[in-house]
Amino acid sequence: MTTAQLDAVDRQLIDILARDARVSNRKIATDLGVTEGTVRGRIKRLQQERLIAFTAITSFGMEDPTKLAFIGIQADIQNVQAIARQIADLPTVNAVIITMGRFTILAVVLFGELDQLHEVASNQILAIPGVHHIETSIAVKTLKYNPRIVRITDADHSPEID
Amino acid sequence: MAADFILDDVDRNIVAQLRANGRATNQQIADRLGLTGATVSARIRRLEDADKLRVVAVSDFAAHGYNVLIEIAIEVDGRPASDVAAELCELPEVFAAHLVTGRYDIDILVALHDFDEIQTLLLERLTRIDGIRSMTPAIAVDVVKYKFDVAPIESRRMS
Repeated sequence: MTTAQLDAVDRQLIDILARDARVSNRKIATDLGVTEGTVRGRIKRLQQERLIAFTAITSFGMEDPTKLAFIGIQADIQNVQAIARQIADLPTVNAVIITMGRFTILAVVLFGELDQLHEVASNQILAIPGVHHIETSIAVKTLKYNPRIVRITDADHSPEID
Repeated sequence: MAADFILDDVDRNIVAQLRANGRATNQQIADRLGLTGATVSARIRRLEDADKLRVVAVSDFAAHGYNVLIEIAIEVDGRPASDVAAELCELPEVFAAHLVTGRYDIDILVALHDFDEIQTLLLERLTRIDGIRSMTPAIAVDVVKYKFDVAPIESRRMS
């Protein structure tokens, strides 16, 4: 992983857009004392380098009562990437991280009722060939989380902006 | 959180448009959905005011110079897990903290600029917190999926 080279303008731009992505280029340009063209160019570069992405974050439980669980997975190390991708394809799986530690893969799952958690953990993930053991741990309370800092993966297409 | 907040298909369609492109103008969204720009603007404001929606730029860990991510499962002993977790939350390196069920009591995600910072984290920060019985780390090697469009939303009135 390479360290991104960001200057003060980039950082201020990220700061403004992290609060509200719908502010116009003109307003940002005025606030930062740069031209609109600079703002447009910087945003485009940051998107292309996958350092920022624009999205609509909806609240936990906007529609269903949403709870969070961590599933630690011990899987064949030889096939870990293929297995991780299969887990990532499951729609209720929110995050998949290949780790070095007590598990080979860590998955974060969103669920409404306990039987939904059981379905994804014990019926879907555990059934994948190469998965040997899972340990499920339900998040009872989120004490700290910054939804603005994330890992932007290959799967996240950042549409070009006009 | 307003319990009586009712979300309809218009809201859902607008949110879907914003997920695809958070920088789309109200008029662009209106044209796609056959609405007026004023309706789109009012609907977005209503969702934001109810703390149901934030249209934002998210930034990658790398944009902040964080190159090392470690998940740590913590066992607590002789002290309420909530108290230990509250102290952990004060550490700048702790990016996320959850109280969990199961073998461990607290799950944290730590973000570091590089591996050298582990020494400071362990010797100057974690060892000064009472009640930690054990720490079992897992180093993030590859993030295969990281969906970021559902999250707890903090109230703007509070922040």
